[in-house]
Parts: sequence; structure tokens; C-alpha cells
Amino acid sequence: MILLEEVAKSYGNRQALRGITALVERGEFAYLTGPSGAGKTTLLRLLYRAELPDAGRIVVNGCDLVAMRRREVPAFRRRLGVIFQDFKLLRRRSVAENVGFVLSLVGLPDRDQQRRAYLALRRMGLQHRSAALPEELSGGEQQRVAIARAVVLQPDLILADEPTGNLDPERSIELIELFKTINYQGTTVLVATHDRMLIEAQPARTLVLERGRLVADGFGVPR
Amino acid sequence: MNRHTVREVARQLRESGGRGVVAVALIAVAAAWAGALLLARSAVEQRLLRRDSPAVAVASLAAGAPSAGLVDALRARFPAARVRLREPDATRAELIGWFPELAGFFERLDEASFPALVEVEVEPGQADGVIGFLRARPEVVLAESSLAWQGDLERTLRRATVGGLAIALALLLGCGAVVLLAVRLLVLEHADEITIMRLIGARERDIRLPYLVCGSLFGLVGGAAGVAALAGGLALVDTGAATLPGPVAAVIVGVSTAVGATGAALGLAALPREP
Repeated sequence: MILLEEVAKSYGNRQALRGITALVERGEFAYLTGPSGAGKTTLLRLLYRAELPDAGRIVVNGCDLVAMRRREVPAFRRRLGVIFQDFKLLRRRSVAENVGFVLSLVGLPDRDQQRRAYLALRRMGLQHRSAALPEELSGGEQQRVAIARAVVLQPDLILADEPTGNLDPERSIELIELFKTINYQGTTVLVATHDRMLIEAQPARTLVLERGRLVADGFGVPR
Repeated sequence: MNRHTVREVARQLRESGGRGVVAVALIAVAAAWAGALLLARSAVEQRLLRRDSPAVAVASLAAGAPSAGLVDALRARFPAARVRLREPDATRAELIGWFPELAGFFERLDEASFPALVEVEVEPGQADGVIGFLRARPEVVLAESSLAWQGDLERTLRRATVGGLAIALALLLGCGAVVLLAVRLLVLEHADEITIMRLIGARERDIRLPYLVCGSLFGLVGGAAGVAALAGGLALVDTGAATLPGPVAAVIVGVSTAVGATGAALGLAALPREP
């Protein structure tokens, strides 16, 4: 569940977000869309508490992120699956290690780590690339590794920042279908994208940001 | 320490590469130096500064002075003392024994050049009394006790130990600085990874502990290598000197480990902070 109440964030004189109020229920699938610079990435960064808002209240998975203490942040983040726009893969580690890293953080036995990492990679069609380093992969493959890492812990909430940015249309649809499958199993999914065709092809609730304001909240492609 | 930490430590050790080797080597040198210093001090103390061994007072008599009266008086006054009279000829013979190439020279000298010596072996507590007694005798020209010599040696040893420990401390500080730099460079190289690890839920402990363990291992391995090198060196040259006592070796390794851990902890100050 995501609750935003009058959230504002600015960088110097530039107001990135203002007066954002929205509720994404538990188990819901939603898009966050808008043109470049509308504040999608900023809003996602606030949602995984990479930053704090200047004003307002944010509650994610029952945690008030403004009131949250710093030492509580890691446990909160382990319940999220975040897919970053720039993938944020650990570049000195293999694909399998990248996916296994989050599993090792929760103290899963080695064998279980390997099995779950393999299954997540197989789901992404990357099981044959498990020993490769991220730099040896194409942009699309890196993106799929990032997705495998985000879903491997079966998080309560998936936040995806332009997850289809490096994928061809066919792969993009497949990815959204995958997110929807995960969503049917109870995981809340919020996908930030500026790809209107994708929303048309796989319609769902859509929150529209423009110049830091939430200007629309409805089903399907915004008019 | 869980498996995650063990794997991360192994990775940090691999990635520290040459810097890690230099840190270990420097710590080994510092540890070996500290060990050698303590060993030398202990050897001098055991061999030359033993308080329970008898003190020796030596008196040099005036040339031609009668010695028998002095020896009798000493035996009467200090019955427990072992008194030995060394006649001038015996002194000459001993000198010739030490320096055979100067035998001709010694033999040409007259007897007055080799005074009779009285050596008195007593309990350390009686040494001052014996020296006082000897100095009061008119036939004695010079009287000295081994205790005075030991005192001089002790002062010199103390100064040498302080100087040596200062060098060891400087070396250890240098080692700490090298570990600090090695860990700081690792942290800076991994800054991006650390940010990502935090974003995907790594705790501060998950991030910091491997670096701390890595620094401590530099200290532990360096300290152990230094102690082992010292023991190996002693065995090789076969000085007959005592080996480094276990507790002292443990303290050296412990201090080295602490230096490594402290250097790593200071190096971790370079870690970027979370909001």
C-alpha cells in the first residue's frame, strides 16, 4: 500500500513535486506516467526512501517514511523490489551474484540462494548468462537482471522506474505481463513509464504527473 | 559472522591486492621489531640483570701491598662470602690468554703493572657493605661492585627500550595509516556499489563489517607473520636466546589486529551517509 499526502519536494529553487496526494491500495497495479522531468523518478525515490520529502506524509507498506528511523530503512527496503532506471547492478559481480546478493542479506542458505536466483533468472530467460558480468550484457539483458533481482525476494511492493526503457515492444509487453502475474499473487506494483503505447496495450490505473503535480488519476491512457 | 560477511570479506581481501600485501608486510615488520625488542630486553634481564644471582665486588690492591690480611679480614667480616685472591702473575697470565699476540708486551711489564685483585662473591644485599669495607682499607686502590655496573646497564636498557618502543609505536601508527588508506581506497572504489547495496536493503553492518574484518585480518596476519618470522629467524641463527613467550606473542598479534581494526574503522569514515 502506498499513501501520499500533500507531498512536496524541491531541489534549490526548482519544485520537483508539489501537493501530491494519492493512494495505491495493497495488491493494486498502477502506472505513474508523465513527460520527462514531470517528477516520476523523484516520487519513486521518495517511495523507497532514497530521499525525504520537504513536506507531506508518505506511508509505504504501513511504514511512515518521514518518521522512520535510519536503522529501520534496510528492513523496509528488503520488502520492496525496486527496478532502477539505470539498473544499478553491482558491476564487479556476476549476474547470479547480483540476484543472490539480496538473498544473502536475509541470511538464506547458499543452496536456497542459488536455487532461487536460478529460478528468477530463468524466468527472465537469463539462466545461461548467470556467470557473466553486467558489462558483458546488453542493455535489455541488464534490465532483466535488475528485474530478476527485484522480484527474487517476492516483495510486498514493486517500484519500477522505466523498466521497459531498453526493451523492444514485444519484450515490454511480456514484462508488463510478468508484473501483472506477480500482481495477481498479491504484490502491489507501481510502474513509472512515459510509454503511452505500453499503457494502451496493457491498461491499468494510471497516475499522471506534470511539472511535479498529480494532474490525473484514472484507468488507461490519460487524455 | 554469517556467510554473507565471509564472502564479502574474501572479496575485499582479493580486491585490496597489492595494498593489502603492503599493509600485511608493514605490520609484520612492526610486529617482528616489537618482538625482537622485547626478546632482547628479556634476554639481557635474564642473563645480566638477575637479582637473585650473587653480586661480585672486585678490589684492586696497591702494588706490593700485602693481600693476605685483607682476605682474612673479609672472611672474618663476611663469613658467607666467597673470597678469591688473584695474584699479579695470574692477572698477567689471564691477559696473555685473552690477547696472545700481546704476550711479549705483557711479559716485559713489571709486576707493579698487574695489581693483585680480590674478588668477593656475596648475596646482593651484602654487596654495598663489602664495597664500603674494601674502600675503607688502605691497601685497596679501587673497589667496584657488579651491582653498580648492573644499574648502569639497567638505565641504558630502559632508555633503549623506550626508544625501541617509540619506534615500534611509530611503525604501528604507520601500519594503521596504511590499513586506513587501503580500506579508504576500497571504500571509495566501491562507493557506487555501497550506494546500490543500501538501496536494495543492505544494513550498515552488512556493509561495514567486511571492511572492518578485512582490516583486522591485515593486522592479524601481519602480526602472526612478524612473530613467525622472528621465531624462524631465531631458530635459523641459533642464538640460544629464549623464544618469544606465548603470551607476549599473543599480545603482539592482538595489538597488530587492533591496529588493523582501528585503521579500517577510520578508513570507513569515507563511507557516504544515508539521508
